[in-house]
Amino acid sequence: MARSTTRPSSDLGQARIGSGARVHGRIAGDGDLTIEGRVEGDIFLRGELTVDASGSVEAETVEADEITVSGTLQGELRVKGAVRALSGARVRGNVQGGSFALEDGAEFSGRVELDFELPAELEEAQPARGRR
Amino acid sequence: MASTIIGAGITIEGEITTDDEVVVQGTVRGKLTAKDAVTIESGAVVEADIVGGPLAVAGSVTGNIHSSDRVDLQPGARVVGNVKATRITIADGAQFKGNVDMDV
Repeated sequence: MARSTTRPSSDLGQARIGSGARVHGRIAGDGDLTIEGRVEGDIFLRGELTVDASGSVEAETVEADEITVSGTLQGELRVKGAVRALSGARVRGNVQGGSFALEDGAEFSGRVELDFELPAELEEAQPARGRR
Repeated sequence: MASTIIGAGITIEGEITTDDEVVVQGTVRGKLTAKDAVTIESGAVVEADIVGGPLAVAGSVTGNIHSSDRVDLQPGARVVGNVKATRITIADGAQFKGNVDMDV
């Protein structure tokens, strides 16, 4: 046999789009995902999404529990927890989530809308937004 | 360079192209093209044509397989489609329906 095809079990559950890889389409599912390559398409993930420095994502919608970006990310970001744009990251799009961290050295353009309660006096001064 | 791993909970619908190795534990629908080794693990579901280097299948593949090297259908594999490669093995316990083309 020229090559062993069994893999160490440590690989299990660790999803990764490698640096030489390109995905054109839709990615969905459970579990964490690291992108080192290029993705053109929407991502719907119940887990943490990491876009490495070499990674790039071009999407209309990116949904995940958390998103950490060191590379390039373009799209509507909808997150349960935190979005973190680390130094060197380039993020373009609107962010909807629990928290948003923009590190020094990260580029960002878009609208940020976080889920938290405003104090009453500010709530009144808020411009009218579709409220229940 | 780091390989690509499509984890067990992940589904990709579309086209995957890579210069490196690919391991599929989850679901791929569309097309999968790799210049290096492709491993379809037990439990994985691939509904796609696969083009790659050495190819090992233990999961389910519906689609044509074309390898520049060898194809090993391992026990438990379920393949529906044509297989083209220079060397091919079909293990006892592998299910296979399709044509085999060994380039002879």
